Amino acid sequence: MAVKEMPALSNTASQAVDIQERRKPLGRRIYEGRVAYTMLAPTFVFLLVFMYYPALLGLYRSVYKWAPGLSADFVGLGNFIQLFTKDRVFLNSMDHMLQLAAWYVVSTVGVSLFIAVLIHRLRGGRTQYTFRLGMILPVVIPAIVPLMLWKFIYDVKVGPLNAILIWAGLEDWTRAWLSDPNVALYAVMLRNFPWVDGVAILILLAGLQAIPYEIVESAMIDGATEMRRFWSIELPLIAGQIKLISVLTIMWGVQEFTAVFAMTQGGPINSTMVPGMWMFFNAFRINKMGYASAIGVVLFLLTLVLTMINLKYITTEEY
Amino acid sequence: MSAAVRGTREQYRRTRSEQVGVFLRGDWWRIVLLGLFLVGGIAPLVMAFLISLKTIPQFARQPFALTFPLHWENYGFAFEIVLEFLKNSMIISGVTVVGVLLLASLSAYAFGILEFPGRQVLFYLVLSLMMVPSAMTLIPSFVLVKDLGLMNTYWAMILPWIASGQVFAMFILRTFFESLPKELFDAARIDGASEWQGYWRIALPLSKSMLGVAAILNILGTWNNLIWPYLTVQKQALLPLTPGLWAYQTEYFTRYGLTMAGLLLGSIPLVILFVFTSRWFVAGLTSGAIKV
Repeated sequence: MAVKEMPALSNTASQAVDIQERRKPLGRRIYEGRVAYTMLAPTFVFLLVFMYYPALLGLYRSVYKWAPGLSADFVGLGNFIQLFTKDRVFLNSMDHMLQLAAWYVVSTVGVSLFIAVLIHRLRGGRTQYTFRLGMILPVVIPAIVPLMLWKFIYDVKVGPLNAILIWAGLEDWTRAWLSDPNVALYAVMLRNFPWVDGVAILILLAGLQAIPYEIVESAMIDGATEMRRFWSIELPLIAGQIKLISVLTIMWGVQEFTAVFAMTQGGPINSTMVPGMWMFFNAFRINKMGYASAIGVVLFLLTLVLTMINLKYITTEEY
Repeated sequence: MSAAVRGTREQYRRTRSEQVGVFLRGDWWRIVLLGLFLVGGIAPLVMAFLISLKTIPQFARQPFALTFPLHWENYGFAFEIVLEFLKNSMIISGVTVVGVLLLASLSAYAFGILEFPGRQVLFYLVLSLMMVPSAMTLIPSFVLVKDLGLMNTYWAMILPWIASGQVFAMFILRTFFESLPKELFDAARIDGASEWQGYWRIALPLSKSMLGVAAILNILGTWNNLIWPYLTVQKQALLPLTPGLWAYQTEYFTRYGLTMAGLLLGSIPLVILFVFTSRWFVAGLTSGAIKV
């Protein structure tokens, strides 16, 4: 326990140094921090040019009617008013985005939790390791590959999904999955069945393994069943990890449009349009850059609100 | 976990298995379920492999089962095209990840180890960038890159990706540096080492596994980006793998054997990288450094 006292000692010592430090004039302290500023300089040069400047420019351009090379007209909040009152495609795209994001959260958390618990309960250390590796391995397949494969799976003429349905005698169920406005959004949503997410599984598994075994053991001795062990002990103790995964998935789901871009480009008749894709379309297909910037700002505000909620309600719990 | 706890755990396991019997130890149905998930995830790749060995007539006759003769030359054809994309991706992701690790570790060292006026303010300035979605900066960044005359160069991707990638890398590295014992750095200072030596000789060698995690996450991010290269590169010869495969697939869409071979070949390099680094990666991700 002697080790425990060491930090306390050095802490008071460093506080004393701290007070001395604070008595020095600011100019002197800044001069003494010159190494730190030199170390930070390259980072901030990059951030200023490629992050802060574009972000501020995006805010600025969102109140203009603007296309590159032409003079910009100030329209105030006109872009936003048009987005939320006249633009049916945008409003529908927000609805689609919410459906997709909700599904991503449910499937990521649900499936990953199920798999993580299964792996955690395996008794053999080697099987545990093998499955852990097997679940994380698909992470390194380039994301475009499953997207293209699922586009093929959904193909109306040669796709295996329709072939399986015909084979099973369900000929009426076959359809052009990605070209039928009634089902295209769900086809995009349900791609990548069975929705294994290696990173989420690893994070949850780490949480499960960090639970002290005494807690589980004492419950088991008191006669808790496996289900009880999960609901009353493990689930509350990995709530932090579950929240983290949910938050990351929601934030990602709000702005994500790579899947839609690669599979349907927002069609047919905008039935899979999401805000990111609509922004892309406005900016780079019909050159309404100011209007598209306004969509970007809406996505930013949405992310900001979600972050605020999450800072307010999410705290890391220790046991 | 202490040896005593592990002992009781073993004991608990043994009594349990004696109770339930050797054959019904309860693992088999878990293994079957987990196996089903794995098979389900891999099935599309198996399908792609079967189709990748077919010519057009073979595919028309028998789309999914194996057909003979096997046409391995599809891979030869795909290889010539994919190789070019791969070279571009390796240069772009490689330069980006080196830049990201260098800048992120330097600033993480400054924020995590050093004391200087304005540390908090500057840190929150970087933190705030986590809330700016890439969707918001997409259009202005595009205009910026165009104005800088970087269109159709590797730099159009490398420079913005260094800027955006270093933020997350800096966070995980800073958390890690802060967990290192302060005494290490104090001792070095007393012995007359400069902060640069503290960074290069102490902090970096101790954080190899964390640097590995940051590197892999960064490479995965840049490797998989479809939209940005699609916007900034029109020359086929400069396309990285992801938009390259997309363009290739669109071009040869109905020649399924060739497209499937291309998609599979494009998947291999990261798998190889991962085989060599998975131990680090898994350890880093599960070490608890990544949390809210």
